[in-house]
Amino acid sequence: MSWRWFHQWGSPRWFYERAGRWQLVCGWLALILLVVGSLWGLGFAPVDYQQGNSYRIIYLHVPVAFLAQAMYAAMAVCAVVLFVWKMKLADVAMQAIAVTGLAFTVLSLVSGAVWGKPTWGTYWVWDARLTSMLILGFLYLGLIGLRAAIQDPDQAGKACGILVLVGVVNLPIIKYSVEWWNTLHQPASLKLTEKPTMPASMWMPLLVNILGYYIAAAYLVLGSMRAIVIGRERRASWVKELVGRA
Amino acid sequence: MSIEKRMLARELKLAAARPGDIFKPMWFLMLVISMVPLALSPDSVLLADIGSAMIWVATLLALLLNTEHLFQSDFSDGVLEQWLFLDRPLAWLVGLKLIVHWLFHVVPLICITPIAGLMLSVPTDVLIALLMTLVVATPALTCFSGLGAALTLGSSRSGILGVLVMMPLFVPVVILAAGVLIRATDGSEILPLMALLGAFSLVAATLVPIAVSAAIRLNIGGSN
Repeated sequence: MSWRWFHQWGSPRWFYERAGRWQLVCGWLALILLVVGSLWGLGFAPVDYQQGNSYRIIYLHVPVAFLAQAMYAAMAVCAVVLFVWKMKLADVAMQAIAVTGLAFTVLSLVSGAVWGKPTWGTYWVWDARLTSMLILGFLYLGLIGLRAAIQDPDQAGKACGILVLVGVVNLPIIKYSVEWWNTLHQPASLKLTEKPTMPASMWMPLLVNILGYYIAAAYLVLGSMRAIVIGRERRASWVKELVGRA
Repeated sequence: MSIEKRMLARELKLAAARPGDIFKPMWFLMLVISMVPLALSPDSVLLADIGSAMIWVATLLALLLNTEHLFQSDFSDGVLEQWLFLDRPLAWLVGLKLIVHWLFHVVPLICITPIAGLMLSVPTDVLIALLMTLVVATPALTCFSGLGAALTLGSSRSGILGVLVMMPLFVPVVILAAGVLIRATDGSEILPLMALLGAFSLVAATLVPIAVSAAIRLNIGGSN
């Protein structure tokens, strides 16, 4: 069996070129899905009998909240790959995901605050899910800060990897302890194991948007991974050639 | 003399040589506690309500303050490098160091919390629960802040970064301890929550030294 498919991931140049093409595909796909899902959700989905039109922010809030948590898990996978196979690209991915994940966390907190004002009458309550999202934001921030403080990129990557792994073990404990501490949030709108509590005309566009946001996140992560690769390989001849051409 | 005994003797000498390191966090704790009635109100009913929580947070901050540079001097004078050459697992030595640190620097902190409790008129049964939660929870907190200290060893401009990075991980400990204090206040059973808190502390004390040793290895020589 040829190991080429595996080893080529070690080549920054191969990744840079390939990721450019993937990014293009992801970008268009995300754009189409998000336009369809958002128009459908904002314009055509039925009005909620309790919350009126204000519930429509769900088509932004739920996907970004999903992603904010999923990206931490993705980072943990990258950390394992980094420690087991010493693959530098995994570290690049970790760095890219940390920033994107923080962006999604902030977006979900802000969209939640905007949604909270008409429904709960306040921008912020110390409710379980808001609090654990806030803590998640601090975890992302810590990773970015740790990386910025250590000069050697390899060393910074490994330090972040340790922190991510410790964090991912703790995250469920944090989540459940916060939930136990206080809960007043409406129960999750979409669960993989249960039938949704919304009618299909409401959750179908949500599903389209969730998919769209996931692909958009892949687009963003690939883009920032390419930028990081270029930055780290700035002394390599292929980068100099690339920059010279541009 | 075994390595462990010599390590203990060394830590003991170091602690005796720098009594300020033990004294300063206690001083900090008492200062924070003195600020509470000044900022809030001298009303003893109000103080008794929030007193135990305030003491908990103040102890947490004081603990972070003195654990921030836990490995710094051992790192700069090369002791950590020598640890790598000993025929003991690094995680074991790190664990010992953490235990010694807890005994010399955290236990004194816990010892003065009853005085702080009296000053904030915390009821006696809550005070006893407070002491118990601190004894049970601080090993986990010490381990986590030790990890923060180890991760930021190599960077000269880290500042309080180690503290900032580790504090989110304290959430479960703080919540469980607060749960115990609330139950102690209304007089219900505290044992189940204490058991959970103890379990968390035990797991942290077993696993975190491994992560700390990985972080130390990382900062010495870069490669492993």
